[in-house]
Amino acid sequence: MLSEVINPELFASAIRMATPLALAAIGGTICERSGVVNIALEGIMLIGAFFGVVVALAAGSTHISWLVAASPWLGILAAVVASVLMAGLHAFASITLRMDQVVSGTAINLLALGLTGFLMVTLYGHPGTTDPIPVAINAVFNFPTPAGGLLATAWSWIDQIVFSYTPIVYAAMIAAVVGQWALFHTRWGLHLRALGEHPRAADTVGIRVLRGRYVAVLISGVLGGLAGANLSIEQVGSFNENMTAGRGFIALAANIFGRWTPIGSYLASLLFGFADALQIKLQAFQSVVQIPVQFFLMLPYVLTVVVLAGVMGRAVAPAEVGKPYEKE
Amino acid sequence: MSETREVVVRESGWLKVLRLVGVPFISVLLAMAVGSVIIAVTGGDPVAAFAALLQGAFGGPVQIGETILRTTPLIFTGLAVAFGFRANLFNIGAEGQLAMGALAAAWFGLLLAGLPTGLAIPLVMLGGALFGAAWAFVPALLKARVGAHEVITTMMFSWIALYLVSWIVTGPLSDKSGIPETPMLSSSVWLVTFDKFIAGIPPVRAHLGFIIALAAAAVVWWVLSRTTLGYSVRAVGFNPQAAENGGISIAWTTIWALCISGALAGLAGASEVLGVQHRLFDQVSTSSGFGFTGIAVALLAKNNPTGVVFAALLFGALAAGSGNMQLEANISPQIINIIQGLIIFFVAADSIVTWFIKRRQRLALESKVVADAE
Repeated sequence: MLSEVINPELFASAIRMATPLALAAIGGTICERSGVVNIALEGIMLIGAFFGVVVALAAGSTHISWLVAASPWLGILAAVVASVLMAGLHAFASITLRMDQVVSGTAINLLALGLTGFLMVTLYGHPGTTDPIPVAINAVFNFPTPAGGLLATAWSWIDQIVFSYTPIVYAAMIAAVVGQWALFHTRWGLHLRALGEHPRAADTVGIRVLRGRYVAVLISGVLGGLAGANLSIEQVGSFNENMTAGRGFIALAANIFGRWTPIGSYLASLLFGFADALQIKLQAFQSVVQIPVQFFLMLPYVLTVVVLAGVMGRAVAPAEVGKPYEKE
Repeated sequence: MSETREVVVRESGWLKVLRLVGVPFISVLLAMAVGSVIIAVTGGDPVAAFAALLQGAFGGPVQIGETILRTTPLIFTGLAVAFGFRANLFNIGAEGQLAMGALAAAWFGLLLAGLPTGLAIPLVMLGGALFGAAWAFVPALLKARVGAHEVITTMMFSWIALYLVSWIVTGPLSDKSGIPETPMLSSSVWLVTFDKFIAGIPPVRAHLGFIIALAAAAVVWWVLSRTTLGYSVRAVGFNPQAAENGGISIAWTTIWALCISGALAGLAGASEVLGVQHRLFDQVSTSSGFGFTGIAVALLAKNNPTGVVFAALLFGALAAGSGNMQLEANISPQIINIIQGLIIFFVAADSIVTWFIKRRQRLALESKVVADAE
């Protein structure tokens, strides 16, 4: 049984499961570093997941062959555009109108849930799940499997854990590295972090506080859109109502666990992704271990609480996070 | 400026009234307007839709009964979220506490079926409140002790509760019918419907839970405005540092406030089980959404217990009417969720109104200071 649970597929699955969390968590990191709490990530992802599938379905059902072939890619593009618009709404409400950021995020989450549910019925005539998208996105790499031997086994491990993923999975890894570099090794990153620590001082030296925060929230929209598209287009191949299932909130916990750094966020998301992958694997052995399936399903949420409880006292959030900035 | 003065910015009477009543009212109208645009854009007829909605919510005794039925849990969850907000705590997980309250009711309802109704119902309701409070306790403790944000923890506990209930209704408390549900409760623990004690009205589904909800609103008002605990809650919510300096324990107030919030949400679940379903179903697939609507209710009511009753009535009417809207105007009831989200936006955006008022007053003040100096 052990080898059926712990195998390369488990680790590959963990990395896949971690991807939407990581993208959202990195988005959350960038937002919070600039001083904006982004509870809206849940809704931003959901909107992306939905409109990605809508466009992929529409383009895929035409009879123009190149359009059909490009349909999942157009879906990803649509997901990003829709999510950026939703993030823009959060930015406008929380930065320009100086609305309570958590309240604005909650409104956006409700709006996203309502809008996707409403449009689902309006467009497809039924609630629940959409049709599967006609063209899927394949793994980026596709190496031939060499014949037998120890070397071949070793290669198949590497192939599964390193080279078996769809594009957005790699995009998340790149986002972590680039995000880390941009936040901590560029002038832009220094300015952005200043907005979250001491916006008044940043303003005094000529950094444009509101614009910087807008940029941060919109970047989280791009990442949230990719996260949504990864969930619906790459992982599932269709859209289910409320398919984000709390991931936006788990992502915020991952951001905290990762100490408000992009690479930390990615690694923390890996932990949650691993928990998710493990519980899915273990479900297959439910009859052997005699534990009800619901307890496996709870695992990621329990882990989130445990991690938050363990890490909180020691992690320090950006000083001005959540506070609207008002020019004097 | 020759002198510095402490200036207390006072709003004139009508401005205060405008902000308390006018802004929520305008927000609702704006949200309805945007909702109408969405209906029109997707090929529906907004006028017919809202006419059908009104008819479905207030068209007759049965419809009014449905509105009251839908209002009942929203009063509880609205109070729950509002109570948390008063202490500056955002209980986004009322949904989970509600599920635990419902679980308690389904369980204790079976256990206590032999007791006299007058004893059994209060005990079962109390159990619902306790389970709800217990479910809020760990997030409350984590908030008070290590500062773990309650938005994340209560949300996670919500999901854990939904799966826990899902297990209970298929496992330990299953009625073994193949449907994930607990056995039907004996009618001795049901909250009776209005037609049983109001003569001359047709059978309605509205039940005694509504009266209990109104009583809860009165109790919450009393606690907030007339007790030491309520004072502590408001003080911590208003300015935690000042409250601490004044000898109020932030940690204890946080724990009490979030647990009371959870208890109110638990009552919502218990009232639904005893008054409507009379058993517990799987909540993962058929999540009520009352917890989230409770957020909209609390925000619209500005966390005022009386306001909660009216805001709950509004959302209850929307929910009750949405069925008829689908039937007669073919509009998905999901539009109600969109309108809810929009209402939160517009209500919270009253900062614009406040901003204008403050700005006008500041300008007036500055010109007065300038005039004085001259």
